[in-house]
Amino acid sequence: MKQAQVIFQEGDLSWTMIARDPAKHGYVIDTNEYVITYGGESILTDPGGSEIFPAVFSAICTVIDPLSIKSLFASHQDPDIISSLGLWLDFNPSLRCYTSRLWTSFIPHFGGDDETLIGIPDEGMPISLGEHRLDAIPAHFLHSSGNMQLYDGTAKILFSGDVGAALLPDDANEVFVKDFDRHIDYARGFHQRWMGSTEAKLDWCQRVSSMNIDMLCPQHGAIYQGADVMRFINWFAELPVGLMTFRK
Amino acid sequence: MQLHQSQAADDLLDMVRLNEGIKKVVIIAFHINLMALNAILLANRAGRTALGFGVISKELRVLAVDLTHLMHDLKADAYESVNLITVLLRQERRKILLESARQSLSQHQDALVAVIETQQNEQTSQRQRISQLRVKLLEKLDDARRICQFGIAISRSAKIEAAYGAGYSMQLSDVSSDFDQNIHAILPALDLLCQNLKDH
Repeated sequence: MKQAQVIFQEGDLSWTMIARDPAKHGYVIDTNEYVITYGGESILTDPGGSEIFPAVFSAICTVIDPLSIKSLFASHQDPDIISSLGLWLDFNPSLRCYTSRLWTSFIPHFGGDDETLIGIPDEGMPISLGEHRLDAIPAHFLHSSGNMQLYDGTAKILFSGDVGAALLPDDANEVFVKDFDRHIDYARGFHQRWMGSTEAKLDWCQRVSSMNIDMLCPQHGAIYQGADVMRFINWFAELPVGLMTFRK
Repeated sequence: MQLHQSQAADDLLDMVRLNEGIKKVVIIAFHINLMALNAILLANRAGRTALGFGVISKELRVLAVDLTHLMHDLKADAYESVNLITVLLRQERRKILLESARQSLSQHQDALVAVIETQQNEQTSQRQRISQLRVKLLEKLDDARRICQFGIAISRSAKIEAAYGAGYSMQLSDVSSDFDQNIHAILPALDLLCQNLKDH
């Protein structure tokens, strides 16, 4: 089963990371899910693939009543992000799923319908969690052409989806990045291949560097905290990506 | 649980075999139709001596058309079966995952119990719908067998009528042999399909 770990708590607002399943099959990529709770309502980011639903669901149940989850947030359309949607809807048919407007007719292949999917416009939008405000931030072409991240201005946390992701070896199960230089080696190949657009990358780095971020929480790998956030943004801005990295 | 899932997977395989069988029968029926059309023209040329052969050829043409229609009906039913079985397979997969989630819960177990129960009921209804459709498929295959048996009988009559064809007797006899061969080729194909569906 995955482990649930509270990474932020202030009053009624909390962020819980669901990660690191020791029983996970090696052929399924490890994922991080985040449950944001405010005043008894929760939103779950990138709920994961259908095969890991039992592990995610069980871990969530250790920290909150799963019925408090009112909505899902899918950063993009990939199976490791949202193929469990059908199972979540079996559990609670009234769930809504926020995602880029590009994917509202693609994701129903995993489950749900036009009522389930709430399309986020290209420029992003505010998302209410009870009386708490979250913001969907565009990160298009990083890597998906319709890609969204979720920012919590109160907690100063950015759920960054695949940006910042690292493919960690089995023995590296740290939740927070401890040694940036060592960690970033696990992120390099992923960003060079998956984040193919230099223009999109620089646009994102510029926008995000002006935001107040204490934690940058990716969907794979460990969380960047404090100074490591800006360290990551600078590293990413400099990183050659896309086709140029194929040239010998 | 695993047993049911493999049953549904077998059902899906049956529908694949049924579709392949239907394709074979439709091709043979097309040949019979074409042969019957040529036989009607030949009988017309032969005149009074081949009147009976002409009548039989028309019957065979009707038979080929009826068989083709029946195969199209079967194809539509098989398609519906594939839809139902696919939904069942998905339901079963989801139930396994939900059950696995429930078993690993130490709290909030109730949250999934009702969902799993509803899924179980839906699966039972789905299996019933698939069984009912299977019965319908078997009935249609039986209808197709009856049409073929009638075809075998009249292709025998065609052989007899060919003998009265005077100068055209040899040609009519060749045509009636072709009829006979084609009709006889359909029956084993249908028998195999019936057997496959009955076995499960």
